Amino acid sequence: MQTKKVFAICFSLLLLLVLATASLAQPKVIKIGAVYPLTGNIASTGLDCKRGAELAVDIINGKYDLNLPLAKVEGLPNLGGAKIELIFADTKGDPKNGMSETERLISQEKVVAIIGAYQSAVTKTASQETERLKVPYVCSDSSSPTLTERGFQYFFRVSPHDGIFARDQFQFLKDLEKKTGQKVSTIALLYENTEFGSNVGKSATQYAKEFGYKVVADVSYPANATDVTSEVGTLIKAKPDVLMHASYITDAILFTKTFKEMNFAPKGIMTFAGYIEPAYLPAVKSDGNYIIIRSTFALDLAKGKPLVARVNDLFKKKYGLDMSENAARSFAAPFVLADAINRAKSIKSDDIVKALLQTNIPGDQMIYPWKGIQFDPKTHQNIYARGTLVQVLDEKYATVWPFDAAAKEVVWPFPGWKGRK
Amino acid sequence: MTEQLLQQVVNGLLIGFMYALIAIGLTLIWGVMNIVNFAHGDFLMVGMFASFWLYTLYGLDPIFSIPVCTALLFVMGVLIYRFVVSKVMSGPMLAQLVVTFGVSIFISNLAVYLWTPDFRLISQPLLSGTWVIGEVQLSIPKTVASMGSVITSLFVFLFLKKTKTGKAILATEMDREAALLMGINTERINSFSFGMGAALVGIAGAFLSTYYYIYPQVGGVFGTIAFCVVALGGFGSIEGAFIAGILVGLVQTLGGFFFDPAYKYAIVFMIYLITVWIRPQGLLGW
Amino acid sequence: MQKLTLKQICSGLIALIAVGIFPLLTTNTFAQHVMILFFMFGMMGVAWNIMGGYAGMFSFGQVAFFGIGAYTSSYLLITYQVTPWVGLIVGGLVAALVGAAIGYPCSNLRGHYFAIASIAFGEIVRTHFNNWKLIGAAEGLSLPMLNEGFKNFMFHSSKLPYYYIMLAFLIISLLVCYLISTSKVGYYLRAIKESHDVAKVLGINVVRYRLIAIMTSAFLTAMAGTFYAQYVLYIDPESVMLLPISIQIVLISMLGGAGSVMGPVVGAAILLPISEVTRVWLGHKGTGVDMLIYGFLITLISVYQPKGVWGLFANMGKRAK
Repeated sequence: MQTKKVFAICFSLLLLLVLATASLAQPKVIKIGAVYPLTGNIASTGLDCKRGAELAVDIINGKYDLNLPLAKVEGLPNLGGAKIELIFADTKGDPKNGMSETERLISQEKVVAIIGAYQSAVTKTASQETERLKVPYVCSDSSSPTLTERGFQYFFRVSPHDGIFARDQFQFLKDLEKKTGQKVSTIALLYENTEFGSNVGKSATQYAKEFGYKVVADVSYPANATDVTSEVGTLIKAKPDVLMHASYITDAILFTKTFKEMNFAPKGIMTFAGYIEPAYLPAVKSDGNYIIIRSTFALDLAKGKPLVARVNDLFKKKYGLDMSENAARSFAAPFVLADAINRAKSIKSDDIVKALLQTNIPGDQMIYPWKGIQFDPKTHQNIYARGTLVQVLDEKYATVWPFDAAAKEVVWPFPGWKGRK
Repeated sequence: MTEQLLQQVVNGLLIGFMYALIAIGLTLIWGVMNIVNFAHGDFLMVGMFASFWLYTLYGLDPIFSIPVCTALLFVMGVLIYRFVVSKVMSGPMLAQLVVTFGVSIFISNLAVYLWTPDFRLISQPLLSGTWVIGEVQLSIPKTVASMGSVITSLFVFLFLKKTKTGKAILATEMDREAALLMGINTERINSFSFGMGAALVGIAGAFLSTYYYIYPQVGGVFGTIAFCVVALGGFGSIEGAFIAGILVGLVQTLGGFFFDPAYKYAIVFMIYLITVWIRPQGLLGW
Repeated sequence: MQKLTLKQICSGLIALIAVGIFPLLTTNTFAQHVMILFFMFGMMGVAWNIMGGYAGMFSFGQVAFFGIGAYTSSYLLITYQVTPWVGLIVGGLVAALVGAAIGYPCSNLRGHYFAIASIAFGEIVRTHFNNWKLIGAAEGLSLPMLNEGFKNFMFHSSKLPYYYIMLAFLIISLLVCYLISTSKVGYYLRAIKESHDVAKVLGINVVRYRLIAIMTSAFLTAMAGTFYAQYVLYIDPESVMLLPISIQIVLISMLGGAGSVMGPVVGAAILLPISEVTRVWLGHKGTGVDMLIYGFLITLISVYQPKGVWGLFANMGKRAK
């Protein structure tokens, strides 16, 4: 009886291993691997990114009357109409899974390129793997500046990084002063203490000096803290004009509540990432009003670019939700890759890389407020990538900067917590 | 400077009372059955979700859903004991630890499966807003939660000391064999205590849901802190857990304010280590 | 534990040969990766066992040693170009020293208090590393991509060298564990586990032997940490110092069978493939079903086989008579 149990266990283990590694018969398509945190703490964001990427591939593969690369034709015309297939892998937000899943996608699933991975730490290891295996990696959703400072040959980034976002926020303050005469002199920095937050803290400190502002508080904290009253207390003590906060969504929610509770109301609350997650406003409702967030996308860009509205309509039809900033960022990479593969007329890594280096997608063919997509030959960062600033007005995100592209006028200073609706 | 000090002390107390309530259920289970319930944080999560769904689907404000959450979690606790935990009671201690781990992983991922990993918040509870007393801002939901914690703890204390079942629980805690000899049905006491421990943390969950965000993994941080609180207070001691909870809340908040918020949990853990180095059985443990 | 029987040595050799030729039979690098993780966690489980299974010190803070090993060797490599092999030893020594430093004041903590203290220790170390600018703080350390080769402990074109190195490490740790368990040290440790007080009365220097167990355990775990750093080429506090890793180590050892040399290996052999395979199969849907299965299996195994799965194998040998 014992022996039977043992054999049963051994057999099932073996079966599991074999089944997992059996390769599936695939029709001839161009496979692209997508690594995202689809389960775990940050799964809702990962699923958001998945939606954006999947819609992009739908558009590439189908025939749509949209001014997006390869939208108007089915598949990649230079490769006989070959279609793109996205193969997703779950990283669970763990860098070692980023590495192993990337490798598995490349060696077992035979993908020709990789996109992903949202969390910069995971993107680091995933792209190290692609650099090792000499496979192109196009990233449009990780924002750590260090990703494009490694001298990698195969890694490309389409979206702006946190250094750019930090600089944007200070530029806004200077522009605001020029426009309205409202001056700001002291800044408080607040950031969660993993790679993302601390990089923002670093960039912000550097730009504060450059732009001539004084940093009066530099507070880092654990992202899933049970309570943040000590952090907010420290901020209140420092009496800053402006707060700059880099957070994920959980801390964004907690801090918003605590700011209100402790009546912390500087002249401006300017934030990164967490406050633009789709779950933020439904959670905090009107408490989110007047907060400013860095963004690469907002629905009101449609005012100057009707393409945005049409893409959002497609998104809404497919998923029943509006396109979020995360989904919008992940939307870019498949297009960049498809465009490059099409021009290269080949799925060989070095051909794709060569084509990527020659990428020149004009701004009107994209849903972002950029002049276009063109990669710096050394760092492989999109030189036209930049952010905008949105402000929550009436529980909706409205683009308020740059001023000449704004959909609404920025409300400044922050009107405080009492006496609001 | 001093006005922030008072504010921070108050806040430390407010979060401390919440920790205390969470810890009491855990120490009860440990004291009676000698099991560290690793799924305790996930019971908290279930309590929070229960409160959330009652609010979202039936419009029941969290304050009124407390009785429902309590009953729900009690039943859940008893069922988990009956069908899972009781089977390893006679086994090695390690098996008991692993079982609650397995239950923890199972429950938190069941929550992901059923309710998705998205973050929820009860956006307009009856109790919201802030009382301003002098220069101190008192968050109303947190204050009510603290009062609830004190009342519940008092109730537990009286229950254990005055009622027959309560005394039976205490007897089983102190000496299992003797209790058995005295005719106490220790199996039933076990299952009742497990249920009660779960119910207590269910109440905590209902209160917490009035001001904290809700998601399947929320049990993690609270659970880890709860273990530290229980150990600090002394495993098995209800009074110890209560005092330790408040202490941890204060240390966390004041440590974060005066020293560095990035280190606030490290400071809590340091205090735990220093305490047990001096007194290996915790503050009030035996 | 008794000395090995001939039967056990033979089956051990067969298993070794099977595992040894496995990577040559398949080009599936994912399977190789799963095996590497299995070896790594198996090793950490064996290391835990020395402290936990034998000496009764249930540590939930092993990840701190793992991280210290990873950071020490990586820091030395990046800053002073010290070869990772030397870094490996240094990392192990640092971890052992830290282990002793924390173990000494904790030496009269019992059972659950020790466990919570170990969690506290792990978290304090992690918080510190997260804020320590010298070693990169939250940004972590990226290891440079050196030319591959044994000297640099880095291989790019194939996983096989990693595979065999990790297997060798696992065997080393098993040997250490076996030697301890059949020696005087092991005897004393078991006595200490049974009862501190009785051990003291018998004249056993409880503190000294506990420290020996902790330091050995720490050294081995740190070795695994250095390996990880050389394998993944990027470490940060979130990936090499997080509590869930400690918990996984404990789970593996307990499920496999604490207190037996091979127990943790069996535990790792079961849990690692399950968690990796369910994630690949089901993770990408985002429904958490993979972890549901994982949790369910753990619960099942601990209910029906509380002494650990290794018990099955051990009994099988006996029954066959």
